[in-house]
Amino acid sequence: MRSDVPAVMHSLHRDPALSRFDPLGRIIAFDDFDRGFCGWTQLVGNYEDDLDAMLPGYAQHVSPMLSTLGHWDAGSHGGVDGDYALKIATRPQAGAQNVAIKRLTFRHAGPIRLEAYVTFKPEATELKLSETDVRSFGFLFDLQVGDTAGAGAERVMPHMRFLNAADGKHVQKWQFKRQSVPIVPIGSENKTISHYHLAPDGWEDLEGGDQRLCYNEIPTKVNWHYLRFDFDLGAMQCTHFQCNDRVFDVSGFDSLRIPAMKNLWCMLNVAFFAEADTNKRSFLYLDSVCLSGEF
Amino acid sequence: MRMSTSAIVARNVVWSQRAHSEPYEAGWAENAVIFVRALRDAVGTGGRAHVEISPDGMNWVREGTSFDLPTERNAVSFARVTHFGNWLRLAGEFQNDSAVTLLVTLHLKS
Repeated sequence: MRSDVPAVMHSLHRDPALSRFDPLGRIIAFDDFDRGFCGWTQLVGNYEDDLDAMLPGYAQHVSPMLSTLGHWDAGSHGGVDGDYALKIATRPQAGAQNVAIKRLTFRHAGPIRLEAYVTFKPEATELKLSETDVRSFGFLFDLQVGDTAGAGAERVMPHMRFLNAADGKHVQKWQFKRQSVPIVPIGSENKTISHYHLAPDGWEDLEGGDQRLCYNEIPTKVNWHYLRFDFDLGAMQCTHFQCNDRVFDVSGFDSLRIPAMKNLWCMLNVAFFAEADTNKRSFLYLDSVCLSGEF
Repeated sequence: MRMSTSAIVARNVVWSQRAHSEPYEAGWAENAVIFVRALRDAVGTGGRAHVEISPDGMNWVREGTSFDLPTERNAVSFARVTHFGNWLRLAGEFQNDSAVTLLVTLHLKS
């Protein structure tokens, strides 16, 4: 055991479930999908009076599922340390997206850390490598300051995605989004709005964000990847981003920022998403997610 | 405690001719109830639903359970299913120009 690791970390390293994470002082949620859905659900769009009011980007979303990563040729793949992973599946159309979300609030506007073990694959409908069928996968926070923040209070939405492919080209780079998208009033009572922040426009390259991930050699072999994203809820700034062995420069990262909304104080939502680049379902699998904080 | 979940697999979609919900993995569940609610009055004579199962989520076969889809707004019909393996979906079959706007939900229990 490393001598420079604090005692609290030593105790975590002895816990088989947590030793593959590096959580901050308090664990807000530790979601191992061998235990079930753990509070992850479909991101449903906003509406009032009529479901037709829901924006098309949200209307396509369906519920996440618990998967053993069962494949037609090799059977169930399983997770990192158990049978199940949370599966986020798109519809079989180029550009289709799906999102799973966990909704919390925060009790202290300080540092938080998101860690996860994830993998992605297209549906194995062809006997081909299919490495460019998944357009992207990624994650986002949907955050809002507390209700005493005063003038200039913001809703802040850091987005990060791995752009795996675009129009058949194997791109493989991390991107973020800070460009606001149009806000659409929903209904007639002036209570609800909607904005499809995962729209394809407005993604920017993370500086030095090219990364070649382990995809493996046929569409039914998967390898799990480690993600870590640190964010300071006080400064509303990203402080660290890591995927496997690569730690990226986040000095140029920024979040989508819009004026605070009247019903979202202290919101702490975290979501993962998948996007298809061809007319084939794209799958993002989450083996486990650890959200921790310093408070 | 037994696990239980509700999954929305089709929401506010118009089914006509031949249609189906997105594939859903539920190998952890011992049983399922599939509810269908009509969100609007159906056009025409309505349709018939068939529960389908699959070895891989890509190749589908009828499980043997079929039921009439609802035809009046907010009417609900359902089927109970067990021994479905891992993959489940609901297929709809309609005659002529019949169509209905649906909400399809899976209710799964370990």
